[in-house]
Parts: sequence; structure tokens; C-alpha cells
Amino acid sequence: MLCTPHEHQLSRRRLLGYGAAGTLGLGGLGGLVQPSFAKQLKKDQKQVLFIWIDGGMSQLESWDPKPSSQFGGPFRTIPTSIPGIHVSELMPKTSQLMHMLAVDRGVHTQDNSHSAGVPRINRGDPKDRGVIYPYFGSAVAKLIGPGDSGLPPYVWVKPGSGGFKFTDAGFLGPQYGALAIGEGQAPPNLLRHPSVTVAHDDVRNGLRELADERFARNRLALARDAQKFVFDTARTLMRRRELFDDPDPKDVARYGDTPLGRDMLIGRKMLEAGVTFVKVNSYGWDTHGDNFNGHASLMPRFDQAFSAVMKDLDERSMLDNVLVIAMSEFGRTPRINGHVGRDHWPEAWSIAMAGRGIKRGIVIGKTNDLGTFVDSEEHDIGHFFHTWFHALGINAGETEYDNNGQPLPIAHDDCGPITELLA
Amino acid sequence: MSQNKRTITRALLAIIGLMLASPLCAEKPLHKQIDQLIAAGTDHGFARPADDATFLRRVYLDLVGDIPSSTEARSFLESKDRNKRAALVDTLLADPRYGRNMAERVHLMLMERRGANEHWSKFLEQSFLENKPWDKLVQSILDPSTNEEVTNGSNFFLTKRLEKYGQNPTDFPGLAADIGRMFLGVDLKCAQCHDHLFIDDYKQADFQGMYAFALNTFVRSDTDFPAIGERVMKAPLEYQSVFGGDPQETGPRVFRGQEVEVATFEKGEELEPKADPDSKAPGVPKFSPLRILAQQLPTDQNRFFARNCANRLWYLMLGHGIIYPLDMDHSGNPPSHPELLDLLADQLISHQFDIQWLLREIALTETYQRGGLLPKDAAPLQPAEYRTFKQKGLSAEQLCWSMLRATGELQRVSDDEDDATGLAAVRAKFMAAYANPPREAELEFSPAVRAALFLLNDETIVQWTTAREGNLAEKLTGMTDNSAVAEELYLAVFSRFPTTDESATVSEHLEQSETRDVAVSQLLWALLASAEFATNH
Repeated sequence: MLCTPHEHQLSRRRLLGYGAAGTLGLGGLGGLVQPSFAKQLKKDQKQVLFIWIDGGMSQLESWDPKPSSQFGGPFRTIPTSIPGIHVSELMPKTSQLMHMLAVDRGVHTQDNSHSAGVPRINRGDPKDRGVIYPYFGSAVAKLIGPGDSGLPPYVWVKPGSGGFKFTDAGFLGPQYGALAIGEGQAPPNLLRHPSVTVAHDDVRNGLRELADERFARNRLALARDAQKFVFDTARTLMRRRELFDDPDPKDVARYGDTPLGRDMLIGRKMLEAGVTFVKVNSYGWDTHGDNFNGHASLMPRFDQAFSAVMKDLDERSMLDNVLVIAMSEFGRTPRINGHVGRDHWPEAWSIAMAGRGIKRGIVIGKTNDLGTFVDSEEHDIGHFFHTWFHALGINAGETEYDNNGQPLPIAHDDCGPITELLA
Repeated sequence: MSQNKRTITRALLAIIGLMLASPLCAEKPLHKQIDQLIAAGTDHGFARPADDATFLRRVYLDLVGDIPSSTEARSFLESKDRNKRAALVDTLLADPRYGRNMAERVHLMLMERRGANEHWSKFLEQSFLENKPWDKLVQSILDPSTNEEVTNGSNFFLTKRLEKYGQNPTDFPGLAADIGRMFLGVDLKCAQCHDHLFIDDYKQADFQGMYAFALNTFVRSDTDFPAIGERVMKAPLEYQSVFGGDPQETGPRVFRGQEVEVATFEKGEELEPKADPDSKAPGVPKFSPLRILAQQLPTDQNRFFARNCANRLWYLMLGHGIIYPLDMDHSGNPPSHPELLDLLADQLISHQFDIQWLLREIALTETYQRGGLLPKDAAPLQPAEYRTFKQKGLSAEQLCWSMLRATGELQRVSDDEDDATGLAAVRAKFMAAYANPPREAELEFSPAVRAALFLLNDETIVQWTTAREGNLAEKLTGMTDNSAVAEELYLAVFSRFPTTDESATVSEHLEQSETRDVAVSQLLWALLASAEFATNH
């Protein structure tokens, strides 16, 4: 299935028109066609918490259970804080927060492989225009910017290696990549060397910047820009060491003493510190074998960390500004395979969201009784990109990237926002 | 120029290119033919040729993985010999560091930071020093019976991929896919469970044919070097598309080659020699798919093998592939310069896969010797047009050697494995700061915040930029003439003379500073931490 327009809208071409010089052709403004956005948004900083459940969470063991059906599996359902809505018994804590959330059970995407599906979903699956599109985090880093925190706009908290992951940025360029915090560890060498004073460090960095400016003359600025970004970020992080202090044991108890709990807590701290886009990764959800024991062990960790961060954001009134999204690259097959597992299933699955610009306490979309296909309007990732951009105050029907003069839509041209999800 | 006219012009140029590449012009050296085909591939102007200093640093880094000393740089820059660039290429190809550098770069390419092994490094280094042909090298890598002194460790490519990591099962499919990626330039991994969804050329049968070579392998435990063993393959491999359809079966089959019939033997007669309980050496199957792979894959009959070899050696020099990504050779992703790729593949075959010969020819092209500045023609730059030289990131290894060289610390650093400031410890630090995590290729320049923090705060960098006996900082601190300091600093770190502005900056900084040694250390650090040092440009 290709993306189909979700609702009638004027074509972008007509809306802007080629003669509309007022909104087009303003080059040199950070690559955005409309310069006003970054400014407008700055006053009212929007943020995103993007929880990436890598490998594919089973919708049947979470948001869209089908108890007592052919493919339903062994788990029961429980009522939630929205009357009439049930979720899997594996998410008791989250079930009591459903009044904060919006869940779409009518997700239908295009790719059933990890290697192609992960980037495709993360890029919003736009039309092929011969460029590599940015992941959502890089897109938001570009469109909203870093705010006033001096911290990088896109921080990725994950198990495994940390460092600077620039591949997410695609054509936007390396400065829109993610700073990854691996294993909850502060980056090594964060402490200033005792023999280097602050003044000394400023002087030598001034000389370095001068050398880089000279090098970039009459040259592609790629290397200079990338170097500038990593050094600026490194020096800001050196000033914000407290972000990596050991967590409060009470917080650990609430979020769970697990990698996801640890990373979700760091994610919250990063949002509080003003980071625009925080991605928190949970790995290991590709349960081709032993799906039910797998989810019985994975879901409680998700449930605890997710509900804790939602409560914290709510108590701090941060949900007015922070858009929260929890999703995978696809769902899992209703059919249970010979290894008591579930395989990849992009045909019919669920995405949960909350916060900034999103309606509270709603479940939309519907799968058929077996959970095999969507029985309502299908929503592809392109629709969600429009929806999320809209929630962040960005009209994806009008806003475009400027890739060296090539205007590029920020989300699939043929899709629009899902209005039922919007506040 | 209208689109039509341009298309016609390009077609004409391509035809001219083809004619030039034809046997009629065979006496023309390959590097000239390459330049003609590159020129025919764009309608836009090229950047000016690289100056001597740019070429010098570039070819040092590419061929020996190191920068020249300030003395070597000065002598090359001042030499009036018109043939000095070609002479330098020959000198570097004969340098012992060529073997080490190629071993490091090919290891990085083939192993994608999975980890190192001393036998494997030795095997690679020795092979490149002897200029072992690429087909023979790949044969040694794939053949399970190569356990002579000189090829010990060659199977590391296979054995390392059979190690478990995390909670993942032994990745036989990944091994099969990587054999295709690295030696044929085709990434079949998305065709494991069904025909590839977007690439028509990659069928499930292709993946399964390659998989049949990999799935009976195991890591031998009787050797102290990495060696691969095989279990007996008793029947063809059965598979089925996840989208349904009839069950299929296949024997081992090299991508686009003939399927090999599985030869079966009576029970008890499958091995020759049989397992040796004393040495713990496993039995060797009479029907050995891996041995067949080693015979059938790296040959001059295998077009994908020759194209991939040409493309990867081209990438090592130019930083971009004629087919890019390097492992996406299929009709939906055609080469940027099809005639060029064919020419290189043909020439490699007629030169028996002579690696040094091809690297030398590429190094002599105008394309390789192009400057790194923007061309006058302002049309957007496409890397596949080679209109300017691509900014390539230095690997952790290249950075380590180059920084040791630039700072004059190479003479001081000890070989003692236990010395916390010795070479091994220093290299480990550079790896931690610059190398990607395992299984993540390093193909494009991508600086990291951790690398910036390393340069800002690590003890090693502080020591190397502080004056101590025999290092560059000490030498510069001892010099009284400020313009001489600038010259030595720029020659040692950037392998070039400073511009007037740069020299003035150095003088001003030295004059304004209260302590000369601190000023020198700041100047030196700034250049080491710069974009110019971090890239090969």
C-alpha cells in the first residue's frame, strides 16, 4: 500500500505557488525555507521523548490484545483508566495512565525487515527524491533547534556504545546527528585535565577555530562544520557534568533497576536540562522464538520505566511541551510460529503517544478479531510524521527543507495529519 | 544546455570514452584512460590540481598510513624533479609501512571493527608486502585447508563472524551475507527469507546458495591461530519463502554461478582424513563446500569478484565507490562510470589481480591528484563526479601514526606491551576515541564528541603537546625565530609551509604570550585538533 492522503488538502505546490517569493527561496538560513519557525518555536520550546522499542514490540502483548482468539496467546487483558478500553495484563502500571495517552491501533506500514524497516520508519518513509532523509530526531533537531541549553539538540540514550552517531542526520549534515550516551556513562575524558586551565583551553580552542576557518575557505564546509559541532558539544558537556551524576536511589526504584529504567531516567534529566529531542532505546524485542516468555520479561521493564517517566513529566507539567512517542519498526505476527514466537508484522500494529499537541485518553483505529489486519482506516508512518510535526507546531504541508537549493517536503507529500489524535 | 543536448553530449562522450578504452588505445597507460572516462562523466568543471604538499600528505596517508616527517616534507616540496610524484608513489609502495597500512585498512574494511587478531594481522601484512594478488589473498581467507606458516590466521574473517555476541545465535546467515558483501559487492542479507523486496537482482535462491557454503562451518579448537572447520553436508539446503510457495532446495552456489551438487558418501566414509583424537584435529569432509567456494569465488571468470576488487581499491584511494554503497552491485544501482568499472576489472584480470599495480595507476591519475578546493564551476558537487577531492576521515590507526609522527613522539614511544604510555596502550586509546563499535563500517568522515573530549582532556595528548626531551614541542620552544617556528610547526603537522597569515598568527601568539612553552603547546594542539589534520583532503 502506498500512502494515501488522509484528508483532502490543497497540494503544497498550489498553496505555496512558485511565485510566492515571500515564503520561498530564502536561502542561507540554516537550510529551512521558512526562517520564522525556528524563532517562533524558541519562545515556547517544544521537546520530544521518543522511545524506540527496537526489534518489534508485540501489539498483542501490549496495546491491542486479542484474548481468547486463535492468535491471542496466553495473557489476559485488564481494564484501564479509560472506561471500556483494555490492554494486556503485562502493562498494569501503564494501564492506569491511559487517560494521558493516545493509542492508534490502526498502524499499517510497508517494511517487514529490520535492516530496511528501521531507517524507513525513522525517516517517515517519504517519497524517494534521491536523498537520504533524516531520522525523526535529526529532523526535529533541525526544525526546532537546540534551544538555549547549549546542549546538543538530539541526545540518544541507549545500551551499548555511546558517541556521536551522525548517520541519523542524512542530508541535513553531521551536526544534526545524535549524541549517544551509552550504558548511562558520561563520555570518557569529561573532566578537564588538571594542567589545562580554563583560560588556556579558551585560547587554544580559539586557535583551532581560526585554523578550521582558514581550512574551510574555498572548500566544502563539511569537515569544519562537523569538527565545530563536536568540539562545541564536548565543551558544553564539560560544563554540565552534573547530568551524569549517579541517580537518586528512589528514582531507580521507581524507574526500575534495568537498562531501560536507567536510560529513561537519564532521558528525563536531559529533557529537564532542555535537550530538544531525546531518544531512549530498548533493545531485544525481536521475539521470533519464545515470544510469550520474552514479552513476560520485557513488558514489565517497559511498563515500569514508561509509566514512571509519564508520571514525572505530568507532575512537572512538562507534558504541555514534551511530545512522547513509544514505538517499534513494526508489530509482530498474530500467527504464532513453530518456535512459539511471533515474526515481523507491519500490516497491523499500534503506536502510543502523549503530551504536546496530542489528545489525552483516546484509542483510535481497530484491527479485526484475529488482529491480522487493520479494520479501520490504515495509518502509515507518513501520517504520523505529519501528526507529530503538527503537534509540535510545524505544518508539514508547508514547511520544506532546503537541500542546497532543492526543496524537500519534511514528510510524505501524499499524507496529512491524523486529526483524531490532535488536541 | 538543454537536458536533451546534455544527454546527447554525455552519450557521445561516453562513446568516445569507450573507444579510448578499446584495444586500439591499449598502449595508453591505464591512468590516462581513467582520467578520460572521469572527464566524460560530467558536464562541469574540475577543481585545480593538488599542489605538491596536498599530494604529498594524501599519498602518504593512503599508501603508508602515516604523514611525512618535516624533513621528508621539506625535501619533497623543494625538489625540482619533474618526475617526483611518480617516484614518490614507487618509494611508498616499496616502504615496509605499505604492508602495515594495507593490512590495517583492509582489516578495517573486511572486519568492520569486530576485533583484531595477531595471526590475521601478520597474514595480511605479509601478503601485502609480498604483493600477493587479490584472488590468492581471498582464496587463503576462504579456504579451510590453509594452515601453512604464512597463511595461519587467514580464516579469521570466517571464524570471528562465528563468535557469538550478546544473546544472538551464531550468525551463519551474517557470515554468508558478508562473504557476498566483501568479496562480490552484493548484499544479499535481505533476501534470506524471501526474494529481496526492492532489489530485483537479489533472489532468495542467491542467498540460500551462498548460505549453503557457510552453515556447516565451525571454529576449530585444536589450533592456536584462527582456523575454520566444516561439518559434513549431507543434503542440499531446504528453504521456503516466508510469503509461501513450494519448498525449494539448493546445493552450494556462488552468486550467479553454477549450483554444486552435494556429493554424499557412505556413513563413516565422509571424512578424509578422519578426526585425529590425539591432536584433536577435526576430520575434513571429502565434500567441502568452503574449499569449493575458495576455488570458485575468487577467479577471473567471476565478474562480480573482479568488479568488487576494482571498486574497493578505487574506494581506498578516492573515498567513494564507482558502485556506492560498495556492497550494492545490482542493476538498480548502476556504477557511476560503467565503462571505467569494466576497464578496471578487465585490467585487473589481465594483471592477475596485482594490487600494487592498480593502486599505482590510480595514484598517477589526475583524478586522484585533483585539489580539494571548490571548482570554479559552481554546479552542486556530486561525489561520484570527482570534481574535487573528497574529504576522507583518517582512521584511528592513521591518526595514531600521524600524531606520533607530527609530535615527534614516535621516537620516544616504547614497544613494551606493559608500558602504560607505550605504543599498544596509546593505540588502544585512539581506538576508544575514534573507532566505531563492532559491525559498524567506517566509510565516511564522522567525527565524534568522544574524540573531541579525548583531544581536549586526555593525558596522552597533554604529554605529546607539552615540551619534553626529543619531541616537537621542545624543539619549537627552543627556537628563537618566530617565522622558523611557524615553518617547522606547519611542516611537521600539516606537511606544508604556512601561509603568510598563518605565520603571522604564530608570531603574534608567541609574542603576546608570557610563557613560550605554553604558547607553543597551544599552537601545536590547535593544529592537531583541526579539521585539516583529521581529514585526508
